[in-house]
Amino acid sequence: MLQVDGLCKAFGDFQAVNGAWLTVRQGDLVAVIGPNGAGKTTLFNLITGHLQADRGSIRFREQEISRLPAHEICRRGIARSFQIANIFPRLSVFENVQVAVLSAKGLSRHLLHPTRRLVREETEGILERVGLQDRRLDLAGSLSHGDKRILEIAIALGNEPELLILDEPTAGMSPEETAATLALIRRLAREQGLTILFCEHDMEVVFNVATSIMVMQHGSTLVQGPPLQVRADPAVQEAYLGRD
Amino acid sequence: MESSFSLAAFLGQFLVGLSRAMILFIVASGLSFILGVLRVPNVAHGSLYMIGAFAAHAIATALGNHPAGFWAAMVGAPLIVGGISLAAERLLFRHLYEREHLMLLLFTFGLALILGDLTKMTWGADYRSIVPPPFLQGSLDVLGTALPRYNLFLLLVGPAVAVALWLVSAKTRFGKIARAAAVDREMVGAIGIHVSWVFAWAFVLGCMLAGLGGALVSPTISVTLGMDHTIIIEAFLIVTIGGLGNIWGALVGSLLFGVTQSLGVLVLPQFAIVFPYLAVVLILTFKPTGLLRSVW
Amino acid sequence: MLWALGLWLALFFAPLAAGRFTVYLLGVILVTGLLAMSLNLLVGHGGAYQFHHGAFYGVGAYTAALLITKTSLPAWVGLAAGPLAAAFAGLMIGSLCIRLNKLYFGMIQISLGSLLWILALRWYDLTNGDDGIHGIPLPEALSGSGSAFTFLLAVVGVCLLAMHRILESPFGTTLRAIRDNPQRCAAVGIHVRRHQLTAIVIATFFAGVAGVLFVVLEGSVFPDMLFWVLSLEIFIMCLLGGWFTFLGPMLGAAIIVLLRTVVGGFTEYWTLILGVVLILLIFFLPEGIMGAGHRLRLYRRRAAGPPSRGGDRAAG
Repeated sequence: MLQVDGLCKAFGDFQAVNGAWLTVRQGDLVAVIGPNGAGKTTLFNLITGHLQADRGSIRFREQEISRLPAHEICRRGIARSFQIANIFPRLSVFENVQVAVLSAKGLSRHLLHPTRRLVREETEGILERVGLQDRRLDLAGSLSHGDKRILEIAIALGNEPELLILDEPTAGMSPEETAATLALIRRLAREQGLTILFCEHDMEVVFNVATSIMVMQHGSTLVQGPPLQVRADPAVQEAYLGRD
Repeated sequence: MESSFSLAAFLGQFLVGLSRAMILFIVASGLSFILGVLRVPNVAHGSLYMIGAFAAHAIATALGNHPAGFWAAMVGAPLIVGGISLAAERLLFRHLYEREHLMLLLFTFGLALILGDLTKMTWGADYRSIVPPPFLQGSLDVLGTALPRYNLFLLLVGPAVAVALWLVSAKTRFGKIARAAAVDREMVGAIGIHVSWVFAWAFVLGCMLAGLGGALVSPTISVTLGMDHTIIIEAFLIVTIGGLGNIWGALVGSLLFGVTQSLGVLVLPQFAIVFPYLAVVLILTFKPTGLLRSVW
Repeated sequence: MLWALGLWLALFFAPLAAGRFTVYLLGVILVTGLLAMSLNLLVGHGGAYQFHHGAFYGVGAYTAALLITKTSLPAWVGLAAGPLAAAFAGLMIGSLCIRLNKLYFGMIQISLGSLLWILALRWYDLTNGDDGIHGIPLPEALSGSGSAFTFLLAVVGVCLLAMHRILESPFGTTLRAIRDNPQRCAAVGIHVRRHQLTAIVIATFFAGVAGVLFVVLEGSVFPDMLFWVLSLEIFIMCLLGGWFTFLGPMLGAAIIVLLRTVVGGFTEYWTLILGVVLILLIFFLPEGIMGAGHRLRLYRRRAAGPPSRGGDRAAG
């Protein structure tokens, strides 16, 4: 579904991503791990078009997408959440998701239909799926940190994506919130048949949830494979897990 | 005969444009410096320029138009402007650093309105001008055109200010911190530097350059109300074509602006002021980020 | 919203009940308010640094004035052309400004708008420069002050209705989302710049309508309409009335116009007062009168009972 090859990106002298590769197949739940500064977020930003790669290719459904702008990549079926709570603080929770649904349905530019009658069911459905239906009329800016992160995922779901990219979905969450979020991610993958690519700090989390793990170090891909194989890989042990 | 005359006229206008560019540069570099560090386009910059000119006139007149009065004005006017800006920054502006960016910007708008009317209250709507010291009066004959000595003086002052500003921002501790704050203010705060004071001095330094520009321009034009409006718009344009926060960009932009305008006088005197705008539109159409890199 | 509709209908009787000057002042408030509301489309709802909105107001007014006085076209054509010219200017200047970040946007806009001001000032043969154009002949139906006011009120009503419709549409919701977080909008597949440019064209169109209404009201145009201090004044109206609300800018316009009329009798330092008002607003009332009122109601409702419909929309 998604195929990344030889991807490079430098900021000035700093080589943030330097030869990354990654394969995501339909239905996979792929985790990207690696120490801080390994280039995970940059990799995600490159895939979703928020940054332009210096070299390398990104193919989604057999088509090169590495030169496309962010909104175009989104239209092709890749949605994402961000590491920091990236929501619309002055809109209601409902509208936050509605904006994404309207965009997915190509209705964003309609001028004369009242918004409140459009895409109600789809939006309500997503809010119910993530468990935010009780907060739907609250201003998004007034939510707790954990709920904002969930809302992030809900906005991404509003795009009806085929591939969902989550950048550290549990960062800054309490243990209970983390557990709930992970359950949500697994449920989304199983019930909706969503393909999910995410990155995460917590090793326990990753090895429990992911069906495939890619390890990054100094901007390059060390290895990608099923959890057991990655755990056993000597290079990974040395570079990363060995220190635990 | 005909062609040599127009060559002389061309040269003359070119040099007039250059010296005008030096004033523009001094004002625009201050604007650009504040933009670079605080990320706020200081709309009050034009008013401070005007106050600089009025203050220079007041000082020079108080000293009875003695040659020393001119120099006192060139030093005193920027200091007065610096004092006003320091007061505005410490009393009001600094409380807004944590607020929405638009509020910072609107504050400088409010300051521009207030300072404009305060100038009117203090100095009134008369036209004034300053007499430069004797050795800067009269003209020099350069390649067959008479060039005012004062314009040549400006051609020396402009580059001197550019070099001084570069030295301050590249070689001093203050300059290094200010540049770091422009890129990443959290980091500067984290290593224990009082960012608020860095901002204050950057703001004051930038405003003093506006005051200096106003003082330097006062012998070449009549000092009057309304001179703030044109300069601020010109300075905005210069800074945008040069690249926000980039001092050298401000220099390039000023030269471009001053020279196109003064050469435009030869073609269409009534609309000379339109030419630099056209140049700017062209540049922004093809190179929207400005000619040189923005600092952030 | 019902009270606004009632007020609007009641105003149709103003020429019968009130004196000439009051009706004129109401006209000024309506025109300025429409201008401020069109600006707020971009500032409060779109989050753009539209700093020289007055330029488009001027373009609308000058287009109408020039077509009526310099050509033999019927006056109605001139009046209709004003908003279109303003929207076209909005498209041109907008597409130049939109390509960069907010700050560049604001600064380039002030500069290019000022270019139009300079043209109005210097192109003496066409515009009469500083003097402006006076005694613009209007269509028969608009020549009486009462009928001019009725026309003005009707047009403002239609415009407000249209703006309300637009803001409540998916386009408006998406616009507010862009205001809140343009990066996130791109990530949900919204073409941010195209959306903003459309908003600019719409807003400058309404600014052009306001400009034409100014011609109907005053029968003249001045270069000061394109001067950036006027743009700032309408910006302050948005801020004062409440820039996250729909009718706030109209309220702000009413307050500023009345204040200027009253204060203008005592002092020539109107800009000083305007500056002080602005700084007071920044420090004490950053969401404006209607914004603060809304917040207060929200707070009372929270304190009073279960948060059933606690945070309904900020746009009142």
